[in-house]
Amino acid sequence: MKKYLTIFGLSFQNEFTYRLNFILWRFRNVLRILMTYFLWNMVYTQNNMVFGFSKEQMMTYVFMVLVFMSFVVAAPSIENIGSEISNGDLSNFLVKPINYLYYWLVRDWASKLLNTLFVVLEIGLLWLVFKPQFVLPPNLLIGVISILVLILAALLYYLFTKLAVFTAFWAPENTWGMMFLILVMLEVLSGATFPLDVLPSNLFNFLQFTPFPYLVYFPVAIWIGKFDLVFALRILVQSLIWVGILYVLVIKLWHKGLKEYSAVGK
Amino acid sequence: MSVISVKNLKKYYKVHQKEPGLLGSIKSLFNRKYYDVKAVDGVNFEIGEGELVGFIGPNGAGKTTTLKVLSGLLYPTSGDVSVLGYTPWDRKPVFQKQFSLVMGQKNQLWWDLPAIESFILNKEIYEVSNDKYEATLNELVDLLDVKEVLKVQVRKLSLGQRMKMELIAALIHNPKILFLDEPTIGLDVVMQKKMRDFIKEYNRRYNATIVLTSHYMDDVKELCKRVIIIDKGKVLFDGALDEIIKKFANHKLLTVVFSKEVSEKELKKIGEIKEFEMPRATISVLRDKVSSSASRLLESFPVADLNIEEPKIEDIIREVFTGRDFA
Repeated sequence: MKKYLTIFGLSFQNEFTYRLNFILWRFRNVLRILMTYFLWNMVYTQNNMVFGFSKEQMMTYVFMVLVFMSFVVAAPSIENIGSEISNGDLSNFLVKPINYLYYWLVRDWASKLLNTLFVVLEIGLLWLVFKPQFVLPPNLLIGVISILVLILAALLYYLFTKLAVFTAFWAPENTWGMMFLILVMLEVLSGATFPLDVLPSNLFNFLQFTPFPYLVYFPVAIWIGKFDLVFALRILVQSLIWVGILYVLVIKLWHKGLKEYSAVGK
Repeated sequence: MSVISVKNLKKYYKVHQKEPGLLGSIKSLFNRKYYDVKAVDGVNFEIGEGELVGFIGPNGAGKTTTLKVLSGLLYPTSGDVSVLGYTPWDRKPVFQKQFSLVMGQKNQLWWDLPAIESFILNKEIYEVSNDKYEATLNELVDLLDVKEVLKVQVRKLSLGQRMKMELIAALIHNPKILFLDEPTIGLDVVMQKKMRDFIKEYNRRYNATIVLTSHYMDDVKELCKRVIIIDKGKVLFDGALDEIIKKFANHKLLTVVFSKEVSEKELKKIGEIKEFEMPRATISVLRDKVSSSASRLLESFPVADLNIEEPKIEDIIREVFTGRDFA
């Protein structure tokens, strides 16, 4: 649909409006990459294996997390939807022949692509300087599955966060509390801070029944070859199921919310 | 043929009450008291094609709520609403392509980009063809005289310029029906006038149906032949602007200029004195006593000049809203 392509283009332009802000944001990101690199380098000066990960595997894990996270969590929708519902700006969209959920999905994807592009560039530079050893997926098929799971992870994240921001229909301006809770849980339970294998095995098993590990841990773990093909495919299917479940919930909540919406602010 | 038809429309909001102070806040966490606010309470009207109708009423009267129901933003509590034959809150794209809602205090333009980008986006959203878009845009840009600032970031525009851009963005798909909520709010007098001229011209040129709300009586006086007065969720009056005077004003104003000092006490016998500052006085008298009062004035006072006038619409409306009895 052409309207959504136009939105994609405008979102890109919008991101570049504030040059200084953009440069600082990238600078912050480079610092984070350097910190992560030096931290894990230190850890591996003493040991050859940590949490069952070789140095190469761990380096790959943490950097793939950086790349994959940049794709999954770059989402301006999170900051904007809550306030648009609370202050009534949502009205601008509701009167037009446009789907609000797709509108923000497209804007998120513009932001994701931009963010990921730069993260890959930055890590590429780092690789040129330090020449760390990265692990590639054991074969092409595993690599493709990993990317598919990653794309589903981004969708999952979009849907998951909508459950939180749509609470604004009932409790305007309280959405940040919800979002904060979700972001903290995500940071820990998704495998963004450390590989989930570190956790006690029953906790790890339990987590597999929640959407969290599908957001970061599984796509990255598949990439570095932690699982065989059958298990990787199983994760792909389970990701799809999660996307389906959350999609139904989000649509339900959205329609319920619209009944509640009072289009405030004159 | 009416394009907008509203029958017995009701919209109640549930609002929760909070007692003041921290204790009240804690209480309201556990036990909330709700009550209904009757924003719109049994409103009926029909609007025909090409009509330009003004909604007037004090803050919280229900004007904006009615507009929001008409544009499909709100689900009514009860009642039937049909706009161009559609039920607004179904939000069907075919319906949405035929109307526009402009809210004076809300902007739809992308703040960090030039207005032209938002226009292009709306062109795509409303699926307007290239030729039609070019033609409409050129016409609107000419009418509103904003050619030079089309490519300037929206945030750098003045309020007046921005309001014009908002209008263009809202009209790029050439809507048949236009809902304007406070279109002139915050604008200076010159800009207000330009805005009004534009609205009038748009109505004339495209035979568009326009419903507007405004706090400025001038907007309504200049634009609307028909007004609907709403207060406390109910329609108090629906008809031609000058009918308001007939319906609500049971008095006329006598403005007299005296040639000599007169006693206020004597003057009070004629009617209610609205203003008295020598040599001029304004006296309000009942409609059917106008001629007798005027002749008594002329007989018993040293009158240099006498004028009989209808009261001002603003004054009448203000009195309607402050709840004076006109029977």
